[in-house]
Amino acid sequence: MPDTREPLNVFAERAEYWGLPVMTAAVAMLLAILSGQAQAQAREICFESRENASAVVVTEVEEGLPNVKCSEKTGGVLWWGDPYDGTVPMGDMPIEADYSQGEAVVMPRDSQLNLPPACGTACHNGTFPPPNNDNTPRQLTIHMDMVPDALNLQHGRGSIWCLDCHNPEVRNKFIDHAGDEIDFNQPQKLCGACHGPLYKDWRAGIHGKRIGEWASTGKKRWFVCTECHNPHDVQQGERNSGFAQLVPEAPPQLPRGMKNADHERPPH
Amino acid sequence: MANSTIPLRNITSTGGTDTTSMTRRSFVKNTSGVSAASLLGTAALMTNSDEAQANTEWAEWFQGNYRLMSDDEKQEAVVRLERRYSSEYGKKVSVDTKPAEEGVLFGYALNIQKCIGCRRCAKACVEENNQSRGDQEIEWIRVLKMEKGGFDETKMGEGYPDGYGIEIGGNAYSAAGVVGEGEHYYDPKLVPEEDFFYMPIACMQCEKPPCVKVCPVRTTYREPDGIVVVDYNWCIGCRMCIGACPYWARRFNWGEPKLAKEDMNPETHYLGNRPRMKGVVEKCTFCLQRTRNGRYPACVEVCPVGARKFGNLLDPESEVRRVLANKRVFRMKADLNTYPKFFYYID
Ligand code: HEC
Ligand code: HEC
Ligand code: HEC
Repeated sequence: MPDTREPLNVFAERAEYWGLPVMTAAVAMLLAILSGQAQAQAREICFESRENASAVVVTEVEEGLPNVKCSEKTGGVLWWGDPYDGTVPMGDMPIEADYSQGEAVVMPRDSQLNLPPACGTACHNGTFPPPNNDNTPRQLTIHMDMVPDALNLQHGRGSIWCLDCHNPEVRNKFIDHAGDEIDFNQPQKLCGACHGPLYKDWRAGIHGKRIGEWASTGKKRWFVCTECHNPHDVQQGERNSGFAQLVPEAPPQLPRGMKNADHERPPH
Repeated sequence: MANSTIPLRNITSTGGTDTTSMTRRSFVKNTSGVSAASLLGTAALMTNSDEAQANTEWAEWFQGNYRLMSDDEKQEAVVRLERRYSSEYGKKVSVDTKPAEEGVLFGYALNIQKCIGCRRCAKACVEENNQSRGDQEIEWIRVLKMEKGGFDETKMGEGYPDGYGIEIGGNAYSAAGVVGEGEHYYDPKLVPEEDFFYMPIACMQCEKPPCVKVCPVRTTYREPDGIVVVDYNWCIGCRMCIGACPYWARRFNWGEPKLAKEDMNPETHYLGNRPRMKGVVEKCTFCLQRTRNGRYPACVEVCPVGARKFGNLLDPESEVRRVLANKRVFRMKADLNTYPKFFYYID
């Protein structure tokens, strides 16, 4: 599945918005990086849980062993050759709260995101545009690829705003309730601040998922919240509970001689 | 007479096999009434032939029931199988015989509230477990789509069957989660669909498995870690177990299984995902070949919503035990006293 985000357009749009006459060197450099990524995307790319949020490029981890096997129909990953490929240690999750002794790794989110490496320098450099601490929702003309209608943010039913999550001074960080920074690679700390019960379940291995070893003392890759939830659009989906709809895999084969599956469709 | 009628699998020079497979079933059929002496004669005949492959096949015929094999016999069988599979699939295939670990009882928990019916579990299972593909497709996991159900005024007058027959009442109520009315061939553009929920089923690894009780040759049995397995070489294909299973968990190889070389998963276990033959029954083993080596089952890893949890039921810190301790749980058809180790739960 190709990545449908168009980072280049976002930048063009942004430059226009600020009336920047020429692109700064930083942006030019960034464009170069991005086009490099666009090339990488021409290779076979699959997604893990959420489309466009956890892309994996198919390679081999060792002779004859692919890092992933993907579904031809949906582009979803079906099988991991190496569950820890590309991961880093989870970091300073409050370990005392996690009563398993195992080793925890995560896939760094910045391997998936285009903007954070540069947003704190190229666009929001700390002085320009002036940092804004105003938490009143207002219409935004940029980032509309992510948040089409900022006044109708699809998270929190009107009770939260960008700066409840994003750090107004340091844009490539999140913010916690004490005003401290949270790394983009640890979204669980951000989400956990407001979603306590879910965070508790996630730590216990009940909400979310882990791959690797089943033993409670084993090594596991934990999926972080944003690998499954789009923070700007959690209200989407038929069930309205945070997980976007997916294309299903093909139905099983009909028994020989059976023409269709009408027999199992309800009469009403 | 029997000498010429026992069909033998010929390995052609390209590594392919002809379609006449040797299953224990056809063996029993073909040799019934043949004296032991003539069998021995056949054995001698086969040993004299240059066909190493035929020897392998022949040895497989006389292989004991897995549970009765000594370690040496197991080792011999493994070497034979590895050789045969490796040449058939053109890659190095390993056949593991790792026994159950002490202090481990495998259990499974599935959140039916989260399941979105995407069927990735069913496909991942096929990738892992070397099921037959193509027009002989076999899948161990079925995902049932069920109406959430509800009461609807417009349906007050409806009853079924319409017209004649026994009136079973007004039908203002649309069935909620009745397995008999679940769909499993559903194919919408996107899942989950509004007003439906999904319930995947597979082998429940019962503590008191009805399938084991009925097997006339005792080829299917419960391992000490709680997994119900099949020794494919001893299966006679009578399919009693399929009839006995209340969970629709067992599949039969009606034809010669179709498994392309490039699709074949070379990490196999004797009691798990090693390639099967025509005329034998197969089923979910909680990915024995993976789980006995520490790894999660393939369906647990693939579930995009994280609805599937797996672990050691004897370890209070395991993910399944935490589910059992914290969530509302039920087992399917608990009234049958099969004691499944597969639990369904909701948040
Ligand atoms: C609930 C918390 C939350 C709110 C509210 C929120 N964001 Fe985000 N935002 C996130 C998280 C978490 C990420 C990282 C996403 C990821 O890892 O996939 C992110 C990422 C981003 C990114 C970088 C995305 C990329 O692909 O590089 C931008 C830009 C952004 N948000 C803008 C906004 C704007 C504008 C608003 C307000 C209209 C907003 N966010 C509101 C949590 C939030
Ligand atoms: C500043 C507080 C805050 C933060 C931080 C936050 N959320 Fe939320 N979230 C909310 C509120 C408020 C709701 C709406 C609850 C309601 O009214 O139903 C919500 C709802 C949700 C829902 C349910 C969707 C729905 O409306 O039914 C999901 C899923 C969700 N959040 C995920 C996340 C994730 C993932 C993160 C981290 C990236 C996150 N949240 C961070 C406040 C927050
Ligand atoms: C493996 C994917 C996955 C991960 C990782 C994940 N979630 Fe969820 N989450 C889901 C799904 C699927 C649902 C929808 C449940 C449903 O439909 O009832 C959900 C629902 C939610 C809801 C809505 C409440 C509800 O019960 O409907 C919130 C809030 C939420 N998640 C927060 C989080 C937070 C916070 C994290 C990280 C600490 C997280 N999730 C990690 C898959 C995930």
